[in-house]
Amino acid sequence: MQAQQNETGNLQELTRRQLLELEREKKTKLQLWLDLIIWLLPFAAGIVAVLEYTQIPDNSMNRNPQVYLVFLILLIVAYGVYSVVSLIALRAGNRDIIDKQRYRAPLFSALFLLLAFYDYMTLKTGILTQPFVPCLNFVINAAWSDRAMIIDCTLHTLVLLFEGYFIGVVLGLITGVTCGYSKRCRYWVDPVIKFLGPIPTSTWIPIMMVVASSLYGGAVFIIALGSWFAVTVASMTGISNVDPEYFEAAKTLGASDRQLIFRVAIPHAMPSIFQGCTQAMSSSCTAIMIAEMLGVKSGLGWYMNWSKSWASYDKMFAALFVICFIFTIVTKTLEAVKRHVLRWQVGVEK
Amino acid sequence: MSKNVVLKMDNVSKGFAKIETDEVTNALNQVSATMKSGEFISLVGPSGCGKSTILRLIAGLIQPTTGTITIDDKPVGEPGPDRGLMFQKATLFPWLTVWDNVAFSLRMQGKLKGNEDKVENMINVIGLKDFRDDYPGQLSGGMAQRVALVRCLINEPDILLLDEPLGALDAFTRMNMQDEILKIWQRRQQLAIMVTHDVDEAIYMGTRVLVMDAHPGRVISDITIDLPMPRDRSSREFVAYRNDILNKLHFGGTSKAEEA
Repeated sequence: MQAQQNETGNLQELTRRQLLELEREKKTKLQLWLDLIIWLLPFAAGIVAVLEYTQIPDNSMNRNPQVYLVFLILLIVAYGVYSVVSLIALRAGNRDIIDKQRYRAPLFSALFLLLAFYDYMTLKTGILTQPFVPCLNFVINAAWSDRAMIIDCTLHTLVLLFEGYFIGVVLGLITGVTCGYSKRCRYWVDPVIKFLGPIPTSTWIPIMMVVASSLYGGAVFIIALGSWFAVTVASMTGISNVDPEYFEAAKTLGASDRQLIFRVAIPHAMPSIFQGCTQAMSSSCTAIMIAEMLGVKSGLGWYMNWSKSWASYDKMFAALFVICFIFTIVTKTLEAVKRHVLRWQVGVEK
Repeated sequence: MSKNVVLKMDNVSKGFAKIETDEVTNALNQVSATMKSGEFISLVGPSGCGKSTILRLIAGLIQPTTGTITIDDKPVGEPGPDRGLMFQKATLFPWLTVWDNVAFSLRMQGKLKGNEDKVENMINVIGLKDFRDDYPGQLSGGMAQRVALVRCLINEPDILLLDEPLGALDAFTRMNMQDEILKIWQRRQQLAIMVTHDVDEAIYMGTRVLVMDAHPGRVISDITIDLPMPRDRSSREFVAYRNDILNKLHFGGTSKAEEA
């Protein structure tokens, strides 16, 4: 309706959204119907998954069958809530949310179908042998019944991860910035980096198990070392690539040497530093899993290994999903921080 | 009005060592000049004549090989906010908003507190009020150059050094900015030294034009422009100055014909 007001051709008072609305390609009736169907498809796929689970007879024994059912229904309800939110936004004039949901709908449908397919392969036919590849009902049951321990292990993993990561990042920033700025410092640190750089972090783990007094301390050291390395290299390159014109401009504006580092060099190197931090996080995630599986007596990696030795494959898979979940959250958080700090980069370079 | 200063360049030479060979580029050779507050000095000449070198020497970014540069009989020292330098590239800090860029210098000197309205005022002067929270990446070339101008003006420098400040702008923005810079200069009457390779711009803005030549870089002529401002680019006197300077730079119609 707002678009109609502007049909006179006077665009002066137009907002961005109205402009997009005006210039949007008009969809044909067929396309609109198709959109609606795709948007509703996840509900259909969800019902397929429910029917697959309830109607096909089980091939092997199933405990607490209602748990997976509740899980499926929760997922469908979640999509339903999402749809309601989208519709409310649409009525308020905001198309973006529902467009995004329509864009994601095929993926959500595929997820439900994948769940149904997996259940068919495991519980219903046993093509993937039970209990080695447990059906999702077992995995969810295991996660729920052992939740206290899993939460405890998750906390251990997170504490160890962040302890090592932050020590590594902070030390890496200090060495990287000093070396980027001072040639003399680079002279001494460069050979260390050249020598240690090519050694994958996991190589240190057996050595740590022999040398370190506590395996926990050893694991912190290994994670920190990997992060230190990534952040040092990235911030060093970032700082030494600062355009000298910025330093000249800052000097004529009265910046002291200290301010040249903290107000010019570091902000300028931020994109590169963040790249180092992201890389450090992925190397930390690898290192922590190896460390927990080989030596450290707590955490999710240890839990997976431990469940395996008790032949509780359902718990093993449960831990796998939790690991996937928390690492995703950690990475997304880092990404969000990065986007916020580097918001000035929008439109500057891709 | 700004403080009255006298800038003296006494027999200043500057050589740059070439990277690969054992030779030296003679960027400036025995240049002497005296410049005072209230003057707007245009340095004009072909590339390689050392005009930017003069500005960088005065700013203190580089040191002369021989000779001395003094301001009120004191040798120029480290770069500082008393000599504002504006580059051809705006060199705005891309991670700071327009407001923070303008406030940068005050913040560095710890003088920002209580002077926020000064920053605000500067942004209003260049008409970028609506852009105060934008990042430089979103500005056009002309806007960025305006921000760069007030960024160094906020210190109220005694000497304003302009290194081809309008070189990268389109013709219309350029003429607007010439008038804007002149307006600011007329209000405070500081010593302004501007490098340009545009003879018209040099005459339009300058009270004095130093014509320079290259190999080695030197001043070949010092011309006082005796015309009231604002100047008419098509007036007879203006054209006469232009012909004179172009002749000195060997671009005059007659001398070129002779060379050929």
